[in-house]
Amino acid sequence: MKKLMNSPDAFVDEMLAGLVAAHPSLVHEGRVVCRAGGARKGKVGIVSGGGAGHLPLFTGYVGEGLLDACAVGDVFAGPSVDSCVQAIHTADGERGVLRLYGNYGGDRMNFDLAGEMVEMDGIKTTTVLGTDDIASAAPEEGTRRRGVAGIIYAYKIAGAKAETGADLAEVTATAQAAVDAARTIGVALSPCQIPGAAKATFEIGPDEIEMGMGIHGEPGIWRDKLRSADDVADEMVRRLLADPVASPSGRVSVLVNSLGATPLEELFIVYRRVAALLKKEGLTIVRPLVGHYVTSMEMAGLSISLIHLDAEREKLLAAPCACPFWRV
Amino acid sequence: MSITANTLRHAALRARDAAALAQDELNAADGRMGDGDTGVMLRRLFEAIAAAIPARENDIGLVFQACAKACASGTGSSLGTLVTVAMMTLAKATKGRGEIGWDELGGLLASVRDQMMARGGAKLGDKTIVDIIDAVAVAVMPCRTREEVVAAARKEARDTLDAYRDRPNKLGRARMFGDKTVGLDDPGMLAFSRLLAAVAA
Repeated sequence: MKKLMNSPDAFVDEMLAGLVAAHPSLVHEGRVVCRAGGARKGKVGIVSGGGAGHLPLFTGYVGEGLLDACAVGDVFAGPSVDSCVQAIHTADGERGVLRLYGNYGGDRMNFDLAGEMVEMDGIKTTTVLGTDDIASAAPEEGTRRRGVAGIIYAYKIAGAKAETGADLAEVTATAQAAVDAARTIGVALSPCQIPGAAKATFEIGPDEIEMGMGIHGEPGIWRDKLRSADDVADEMVRRLLADPVASPSGRVSVLVNSLGATPLEELFIVYRRVAALLKKEGLTIVRPLVGHYVTSMEMAGLSISLIHLDAEREKLLAAPCACPFWRV
Repeated sequence: MSITANTLRHAALRARDAAALAQDELNAADGRMGDGDTGVMLRRLFEAIAAAIPARENDIGLVFQACAKACASGTGSSLGTLVTVAMMTLAKATKGRGEIGWDELGGLLASVRDQMMARGGAKLGDKTIVDIIDAVAVAVMPCRTREEVVAAARKEARDTLDAYRDRPNKLGRARMFGDKTVGLDDPGMLAFSRLLAAVAA
């Protein structure tokens, strides 16, 4: 697979250098990206992080009304413990720090270890794990589900809550409720390759798609011949709506997200169908998002995320925010 | 002869070279159920460990602590973090010691296994690096000399790889491949066996 880079070992650091050069609202030190102004005293901090290779996730969502800091690892590998510690310190405004990240083994171990270390420095932390990928485990095994694109709703909603001056317990509860109300499913058309890896993350025939595939090529539900955009959208929406959530309100936000190579044209073809299907189901769509929000480098395919909104979540979703990739 | 800081220095250099040699094999093994980057990650990690070992430190605990620090800043992958956990466990257990008997190695490996299970959430039988460490820990427990440890550890590592090959992975990303992992070596177990073979050469 062709990549524009200088060396696999420099891939992440050179990417971060370019990101902050292009966006002066961000600064980075090593593998930690934070707001240029630093932590705001009196506000609960929110940190996230994970492997690189998913831009705009994670670092792209550092900004007002969203995240305070991010720790990034190598491509598709968790951030180091040291980076997690540094990110938590950077985000600390003396009211505690929420660790909000996807449910992956390496990320969990590192953020857990970091949490224990910063506790010794007197920083209180809590954890909320993104678990929105419905194809990664059955509903009754919800805690084993992995976090994918739906986590950006939790960033937005928890970030807005923190800006109101809410305390750590309130921000944590709001983030957890947002994760619990979000569902995502993806479909993959072609793979990506980690810089320096021997081969692509998975193999798939030129005329095949895989329903339910994860953002690192985790196996999905079925693999079959490519079918029409409407057929794919129908199945994805049907699966999302069939997955149980506590007290659905009839109001949802929906994110049609490119995994990297799939262009906006195809996303809008799919969104048109998704919007019609949700309307037919009697659901009202609030603030839809269509674009590149959580990617896997050059992977082709898309994901659809749905978040069920109560009055508070809807209000927090509409609150102002500003980061390089999302502005309200 | 017991284990000293110098033993660790030599072992770290051999591990670094073994990780570089095994890079492509481990990438390929990981590529069958993961991202295909385990080899690259371990090569970088053991380069960092070898570079971090202090040249003139005799306290074994402090040598392991230097390794743990290099790991904690050098990796965040789940397997890499388990190596960090192992180094931290060994650092705590050997702090202040100038030498360790070969008869203590089994107990040390057992505490590494326990800490890895507590941190990573693996259970015995999940087909992870924890299973091979458990098997080797048990096998070297009665050994008293380097020769006995080397023979028992190498045999047990080979036997454990063979015994688990036809079982499915039950944890993490590999779990999602289910029965497709039957017939394949777990990349973490394979990495441990390659490093062990080099260190025990």
